[in-house]
Amino acid sequence: MSTLLVWREKLQKIYAKYSTYILKALQLLTGLVLFGLINSNIGFMESASSVFCTAGLAVICTFFPMMIMVIAATVLILIHFYALSMPIAAVSMVIFLLMYIFYFRFTPKKSWIVLLAAIAFGLKIPFVVPVVFGLMGTPVWIVPASFGIISYYMVDSVKDSATALRSADAESMADSLITFTRQMFTNREMWLMVIAVVIGILVVHTVRTRAVDHSWKIASAAGAAVSVVVSAAGSIAMGVDISYVIVVVSAVLGIAVGLVLEFLFFSVDYSRTENIQFEDDEYYYYVKAIPKVGVSAPEKEVKQITGRRPGAKKNGQKEDSVTADTNPEEILLTRSLSKELGLNGDNNKTE
Amino acid sequence: MLDKRKIRLMARAAIYDKEYGEEDLKITGYYQKDYVSLNVWITLIWVTAGFFLTAALLFISNSESIVEGITIVRLLLLAAIVLAAYLSLMIIYGIGVSTFYRKRHAQAKQRVKKYMRDLSRLEKMNLIKEKNRS
Repeated sequence: MSTLLVWREKLQKIYAKYSTYILKALQLLTGLVLFGLINSNIGFMESASSVFCTAGLAVICTFFPMMIMVIAATVLILIHFYALSMPIAAVSMVIFLLMYIFYFRFTPKKSWIVLLAAIAFGLKIPFVVPVVFGLMGTPVWIVPASFGIISYYMVDSVKDSATALRSADAESMADSLITFTRQMFTNREMWLMVIAVVIGILVVHTVRTRAVDHSWKIASAAGAAVSVVVSAAGSIAMGVDISYVIVVVSAVLGIAVGLVLEFLFFSVDYSRTENIQFEDDEYYYYVKAIPKVGVSAPEKEVKQITGRRPGAKKNGQKEDSVTADTNPEEILLTRSLSKELGLNGDNNKTE
Repeated sequence: MLDKRKIRLMARAAIYDKEYGEEDLKITGYYQKDYVSLNVWITLIWVTAGFFLTAALLFISNSESIVEGITIVRLLLLAAIVLAAYLSLMIIYGIGVSTFYRKRHAQAKQRVKKYMRDLSRLEKMNLIKEKNRS
C-alpha cells in the first residue's frame, strides 16, 4: 500500500509539473475518440468522415476550451445527418437546441461532461458513468449525463435505420421526419438507460456523502449494482433487448474505476478515525474525523562536495528579501496566499 | 530584490483575472435586482421557445393519434394541458433561475471585493517601496 501511495505522490508531482501538457494530451485523446466514434458510426458525408478530418478536428479542438469541442461535435453530427436527410438534421438541431436552452445556458463550462457520458456509451461501458459522475460530481450532473445518453442514442438510432431514413422527395422527407421524431421519443432503451444512470448517480452521490466508513467503496458498488438491477428489471418489464454482458462488465469496470478514484482523491485511514463530541451554548456536536493517508515521495538529494553550496550565506548578507512577518494580518495573508496558490510550507525555503 | 508576498498577491490577482475577471466585471456592473430580473426574463423567453419546440416535436411524433377523432372538448382539454405544463415550467424555471442568478451575482461581488482588496494591498506595497526608495 505504501508503495502505491508513494506512486500517487510521484504522480501528483508529475501532474503539478506538466499539468498543461497532460491536460492538452487528454483533450487531444478525447477529441480523437469522440470524432473517431462519430465518423465511424455515422460517416454519411465522406469528406467529413476521413481520418484527416478526425485528426484535424481533434488537434484544432485541443488548443481551445472544451466547449469548442462540444460545438464541433454537434456540428459534425448535424453535417452527417444533413448528408443523410435534411429533416433528421433539423430534428437533431432542435434537440441540441433544447439541451442548450434548458441546461447549457447556465453552465456552458460544464458541457464537456456530456461528451464523457456519450463517449462512455460509445465505448460500450455505460455504467462507468453513474459511478464516476456520482463520485466526482453533484446531483446536477444527472442532466448532462442524460443529455449525453440522448445524444448517443440519437446517433445510434440514425446509424441503425439509416437506409429507412434516407429521403429524397418531399413525401419521404415528411415520413422520415415523423419516423425519426417518434423514434427519439419512444426509444425505450434510451429512456431505460437514462433512468438507470440517473438513479445510479443519485445512489452513488447519496452514499458517498454519508459519514460511514468506506463510503466511496460502498457508493461505487451500490451505484453499479443499482444500475444493473434497474436496467435488467427495465429490460424485462419494458421488453427492451439489452446486452447483459455489456451491462455487467461495465458495472464491474465502474467499480474498478471507483476504487482508482478513491485511491487518487480520497485516501483516508479509517483505523485512526476519531469520534469527538463537544458542545457550545446552542448545539451539541458529534464530529467524526478521519485522517488522510499521505506519504512523502523520497527525494534524491545531490550532495555537493566541492564548491560553494547554493544556499550558503555570505558574511553579513541577508538571506531573504522578505521582511519579517511580524504583523498578524500579514502572516494570515501570506498563509492564505500560499494555501491558495499551492505553495504550502515553502515559505522560507526558497527564493 | 524579489518580494514573495507581492509576487503571490499578483499571481492570485492574475489567476482571478484570467478565470473570472471579465465575466465578474460584467455581472457586477448591474445591481443585483436588475441583474436577476434581466436574466430571469431572458431565460423565460428561451424556455418559452424551448417549450414550443418540444411541443412541436411531440406533435410531429404523435400527430396521427392527436388529429384522429379530434373534438372540441378534446381540443380544449389538450389546450388546458399544454397551458398548465407551460405555466408550471415557467414557474419552476422562474424560481430556480432567480435563485441561481442571485447566487451568481453574490459570488461575483464577493470575488471582485477580494480582488480589489488584493489590488489595494499591492498598491500599498508599491507606495511603501517608493517611499523607501526616495
